[in-house]
Amino acid sequence: MNDKTQVTERDTSAVAQRTGERSSKTPAVVPAVDVVEDKHGITLWADLPGVTRENLDLRVEGPNLFIEAEATVPMPAELRVHHTEMQQPRFARAFTLSADFDTAQIDASLKDGVLKLTIPRREEARPRRIDVSVD
Amino acid sequence: MSDFFFGLPLFDDFERLQRQMTNLLTGAPVSIRAGRFGAFPPINLGSTDDSVEIVAFAPGIDPAKLEVTVDKGLLTINGEREAAPDAEGESRSYARERFTGSFRRAVELPRDADPDNVRARYVNGCLIVTVGKRESSKPRSIAIQ
Repeated sequence: MNDKTQVTERDTSAVAQRTGERSSKTPAVVPAVDVVEDKHGITLWADLPGVTRENLDLRVEGPNLFIEAEATVPMPAELRVHHTEMQQPRFARAFTLSADFDTAQIDASLKDGVLKLTIPRREEARPRRIDVSVD
Repeated sequence: MSDFFFGLPLFDDFERLQRQMTNLLTGAPVSIRAGRFGAFPPINLGSTDDSVEIVAFAPGIDPAKLEVTVDKGLLTINGEREAAPDAEGESRSYARERFTGSFRRAVELPRDADPDNVRARYVNGCLIVTVGKRESSKPRSIAIQ
């Protein structure tokens, strides 16, 4: 491997990153979410029907949180589709997290097609009382 | 040009906007035959030679609270989805898009569907109902004598 190939490799990684971005632009359903914040952090619920743990892709890239998922429903092979209200078997949604959340401590659970994400606030960002001392 | 209009998630955002608008404007008169936009749960429908397959995308429901009935060729899915328990103490809600409350959706079954042969199962938040077709209505070849 010489210097030249190394440069090319770096370029492909840049391209791969671009295609990764584009893949998130393929048609996908925007899942409905509930977002609630309390003093511990943020809890997010997202409806992802038909999604198993293997087909769920949760990523944190910088300040952004990406939720991407593929729904699989067991169906006979020779199925003729007559009516669809769920148009795409893919789900995608992204959120920007502010710096006061601890992205390393995100807890995710998936049950019956509902994703629950708990995003804790950083210790130093938790609200606290400051005692005022009187002299 | 077509790539510009399609293949972008733009329409999903429009759809979401429209869904939210419909939620706000319930009570305004609409066409009597119009399907409710964004009805919960969304339903996909297909068939094979042996069965009719109905999938209702209803995540996060206690299967005990789901009721599937067949009456005079009409398949009805009833159920209720409870709201997530409120967090204790001070909390702020930023998004409440997920459906809560009771719902009811009905699907007219084709005439050859067999109401005595219905199977329903709840997998990963999808209710899958399989309705068999009557033996007499299955395609068959006729022997020539």
